[in-house]
Amino acid sequence: MNQEDLLNNEKIEKMLSPHPLSFMRYQALCIFLIVWGVVFGWLIHFSDFRGQLAIPEIILFAWAIVIIVVGVFASLITIRWRIFFLYLGVVLVGVAVIYWQGFDIGTTGLFIPSYTIAVSIIGFLIVELYRRSHKYIISNFRIIFKGGIVTKQERTLRYDKITDINAKQGVLGQIFSFGTIIPISQSGFGLGSDKSFAAGGVQLGEKRAKLLGIFGGGKEVQTPRARSYFELHGVHPYKEVRKLVESMVQSSVITPYQQEQVTVQKEQVDIQKQMRELLKKQTGTKEEETKEKEET
Amino acid sequence: MAGSPIDIVVFAPLAPILGVLLLWFIQMVFIESQKFLLSKIRPKHEPLCRFTNFLGILFQSICHALGYTVTKSGISEFYISVNYGKVAPKKQKKGIFEWLANAFLFIGPFFIPAFLLLICLFFLMGSGFEISTPLELVELKYTFAEQIITFGKSIHAFSQYFFGFLFSVDLLHPGHFGFFLLLIFLGMGIRPSYIGEEKRQKVDMMYDLKNIWSLIIHKPLYIFILFLMAYLFFYISFSFYQIWYAALFSIFGWLSIISIAALVIADMILLLIKIADELPNGWRLLPYLTIPVSYILARVLFFFFQSEFSNSISLLIMICSTVIVVILLLKHKTNKFKTKVDMKKLEKIEEDKDESRRLVKQ
Repeated sequence: MNQEDLLNNEKIEKMLSPHPLSFMRYQALCIFLIVWGVVFGWLIHFSDFRGQLAIPEIILFAWAIVIIVVGVFASLITIRWRIFFLYLGVVLVGVAVIYWQGFDIGTTGLFIPSYTIAVSIIGFLIVELYRRSHKYIISNFRIIFKGGIVTKQERTLRYDKITDINAKQGVLGQIFSFGTIIPISQSGFGLGSDKSFAAGGVQLGEKRAKLLGIFGGGKEVQTPRARSYFELHGVHPYKEVRKLVESMVQSSVITPYQQEQVTVQKEQVDIQKQMRELLKKQTGTKEEETKEKEET
Repeated sequence: MAGSPIDIVVFAPLAPILGVLLLWFIQMVFIESQKFLLSKIRPKHEPLCRFTNFLGILFQSICHALGYTVTKSGISEFYISVNYGKVAPKKQKKGIFEWLANAFLFIGPFFIPAFLLLICLFFLMGSGFEISTPLELVELKYTFAEQIITFGKSIHAFSQYFFGFLFSVDLLHPGHFGFFLLLIFLGMGIRPSYIGEEKRQKVDMMYDLKNIWSLIIHKPLYIFILFLMAYLFFYISFSFYQIWYAALFSIFGWLSIISIAALVIADMILLLIKIADELPNGWRLLPYLTIPVSYILARVLFFFFQSEFSNSISLLIMICSTVIVVILLLKHKTNKFKTKVDMKKLEKIEEDKDESRRLVKQ
């Protein structure tokens, strides 16, 4: 961060970026592809099943179906359909290249594993680029969140505007001591909602009556959530950073004792003002009396 | 020659129990060595120790939860972290139920990881799981001798297949490689005690044994019931002319064998990490790189010169080359493996260097 971007008397306490393993949910997608690429290469070239996998269509089907099924499962578990579409894209591009180039069985057998591994390596690089685009600056006045590979985003949060701090640490985070801290602002920035919907259908009778009923219900739960650009995502060392942020917030908040002191001081100031006015009045009346005396 | 009634009624059921106990004690010795190595590398490899702690706590908590489920106490709280695990029952049952839940907690972690590996082995090995009474012992049926030999025979058969599989494991086979990784990871988690950030109390083999011993002496009646159940199971097997009793304890024996193998491999890796830490910074990676490079080179070599034992020889080449690289690095880059004369020479060189530095300064 440039010195010009800092305010008067502003001092940087810490400059942070996410831990390399903090985006494991994205890296896991690439890890699966790399593992599947290696296993598939072994299956069609070295395993006992290589006889059954000697037809290009079967190879392609087996490769694609596993990726799509895993994509569906991952999407259902994480409630993010973009994983499915990402994997579908990988499959469609692979199939398109094979049919466009008219690969034979030997080339297909070589292309699919290398294509899968290459895609996963590109995926790793994109995730790493995305991680490196994050920058968090903790100063004595505020927290500045910066990020974005192409479009630059920035959020500034003053400590007195923070109402809550949500902190979470997964298993990997506990092992490598990194975690995510979400400062929730008074405006509700840093809060998201989990929505769930359940529906069921009933059909009564086959011949006589066909009754179809659908029962549904929705539920919404407020939960601390923000984009990784707007939270302290996967910061290391977690405990130290959390303590620093909490102490900064604490120092900018007036405690009940301090509030009491302020009201006492206000009362004292009011009393002093009243006394001054009384004194002014008294001195004013005395001056008038002396003037009257002088006149008489 | 038939067995005497006293032998069959009193001593025969004890034979497999003693066999399992013996293997279990060997397992505990290896656990102790693993704890020692982990505590040595902890300052430089904090995440690794946290990971092994997490595995240990995970298995311990699962066993505790299993204990509460078996005793129908229910689970009201289940919490695991890298430092601490907590499982609380819904209903706080007393007596034998509480004792059983505690027994699961203390003894389960020794066997649960090995059980997971046994399931994997069942699919990878295919054979070695047979339990039968040797033909020459038919006359001695259901005696102490027959029971111990049947137990030993099944352990021997399993060990033969298992170690045969381990020594010919194909690390380029995804299934074998996955199993090997699992063996290492679970090997690091087979320990019921936690290695803390600070050494608050001595948590070692004696601590574990003390826990188990207190479990035994505080409730001798329950131990008696447990033995009674074992004896009853033996008599049932005896009355049906089956070897169910020896088979059950043989499975416990297999689990111990798997645990010991996993612990030995994990110990070897921890030892490598400990030794690599002693090397200068630039050379530290070399022993780790030697492992895959030497193995792949050996496999490539055997791809052109086919051999029946290519997997085993490749493993041997990998182990030997890693050991040689480590010894050479220790000899040339540290003060290890140096004779007194060499040390003196080194000291003299150091002194000369200091002298020259002093002169330059002056």
